[in-house]
Amino acid sequence: MFGKLLKYDFRSMLKQFAFIWPTALVLAIVNRFTLDGLDSTSSVGETTAGIAMLVYVAILISMFIVAVIFVIQRFYRGLLGDEGYLMHTLPVKPWQLIGSKLACALVVTVVNILVAILSILLIVPWAASDLKELFEGFQYLFAHWNIQATQIMIAMLEFVLFSLASFAVGYLHLYLSMAIGHLFNKNRVAMSVIAFIAIQVLLSILGTILARPFSDLIYPAFSSLDGMPAYHISMWVLIAGEMILAAVYFVGTEYILRKRLNLE
Amino acid sequence: MNEQLVTCAALTKRYGGKRALAGVDLELGRGRIVGLLGPNGSGKTTMIKILCGLLQPTEGAVLVDGQPVGPYTKSIISYLPDRMYFADWMKATDLFDLFADFYKDFDRTKAMSMCASLGVTPSDRLKSMSKGTKEKVQLVLVMARKAQLYLLDEPIAGVDPAARDFILSTILTNYNEEGTVLISTHLISDIEKVLDEAVFLKEGQITLHDTVDNIREREGKSVDALFREVFRAANYEGGAF
Repeated sequence: MFGKLLKYDFRSMLKQFAFIWPTALVLAIVNRFTLDGLDSTSSVGETTAGIAMLVYVAILISMFIVAVIFVIQRFYRGLLGDEGYLMHTLPVKPWQLIGSKLACALVVTVVNILVAILSILLIVPWAASDLKELFEGFQYLFAHWNIQATQIMIAMLEFVLFSLASFAVGYLHLYLSMAIGHLFNKNRVAMSVIAFIAIQVLLSILGTILARPFSDLIYPAFSSLDGMPAYHISMWVLIAGEMILAAVYFVGTEYILRKRLNLE
Repeated sequence: MNEQLVTCAALTKRYGGKRALAGVDLELGRGRIVGLLGPNGSGKTTMIKILCGLLQPTEGAVLVDGQPVGPYTKSIISYLPDRMYFADWMKATDLFDLFADFYKDFDRTKAMSMCASLGVTPSDRLKSMSKGTKEKVQLVLVMARKAQLYLLDEPIAGVDPAARDFILSTILTNYNEEGTVLISTHLISDIEKVLDEAVFLKEGQITLHDTVDNIREREGKSVDALFREVFRAANYEGGAF
């Protein structure tokens, strides 16, 4: 059943982003050619390059704004608005409804970042010799693979994992705020915003209280370490922290949808 | 298979200080058409929402086919809410896909033929459909299932008398005869002729639950006439006329 939910959430995602993702890539390719205009002495070439760059940057920024709106809307309208009458009477469990929305939100985020990276690569006017050098560079790297390279690979993976966990925390923070807001019979949007801020404040108070005992606890473990091991451990501590926070938000949201559902 | 399809025991729902349901005990068997009758605000929608899992009761228990409300009961209940639940970007056929995916008892062929007889083009975008057409799509989705329990919340409230007959005949010709249909309404004269049983709901409590034939025999009047009598008396007593 979870797979079927994902299918419908991905379908609505594709409808939303079917235009913006290809547009960003096409504009990047356009910029690849108009950028040459900057070198020329003609003012026409310069203006064209400027406008093309402006449009490209605007699309890139709006891509990320649309993503946040999409995440909020799919949850608020899809589960707490009128569409909730359909979704909450499907033979599925509430955690599956939330999980499917979250998975979809994370995929949107990852694809957005990939599209942004790819578009920048498309703008760069690669010459054949550049590509050849790049390729040779990678060849060299793999031929001389060593412990440092492995360390760097792991560090990068840890960073990706940490970023994903942070995005999940951010989205679940939004979900929990909206779920709390929907418990009120009036001013639900305003209450959601207040809930969002309240959670943030609560979190920073907790952070202040716990910072000292926590550092006292883990400092001895770190004092004997240095360099990469210390880095890896601190990354995993951070990842674990995000995961715990995500789990708390998820459980809270699930509880409200299961026990306190209050559709208009 | 349990003998009773629906069992409610001491079902209570409070919204803040307000009691929408006050200790409802109700048993519904299979293969019947039951009217859930009461004036506005008597708790009909609350009752139906609890049965389909959109609300949690404050106290009391509900069993549908012997099971507490959950994925299983949702899989055998076909629910027509009192509002539209569509996402704008969908077509009726997208919804048919969704229902076919989630409900084993959804009959796509039947849905398509119901669309044809109701004059709905299922490949149209829902956004471009009129309110009446959207309501028909929703009715098609609900009635194209071979469900054990149909919960129809005010299916005829917002439409003209001609459309009422149309909707009722669609329900009658398409429901699963081994299943039970629970129709909530305050427009009793329109549906009295199709009902097997009537449940009167008054201020969150059941004041009467019997077969329509028994009611007519005992009271010597139609359910509609009895309803008017019972609920007009309430108004006099309350002085809220």
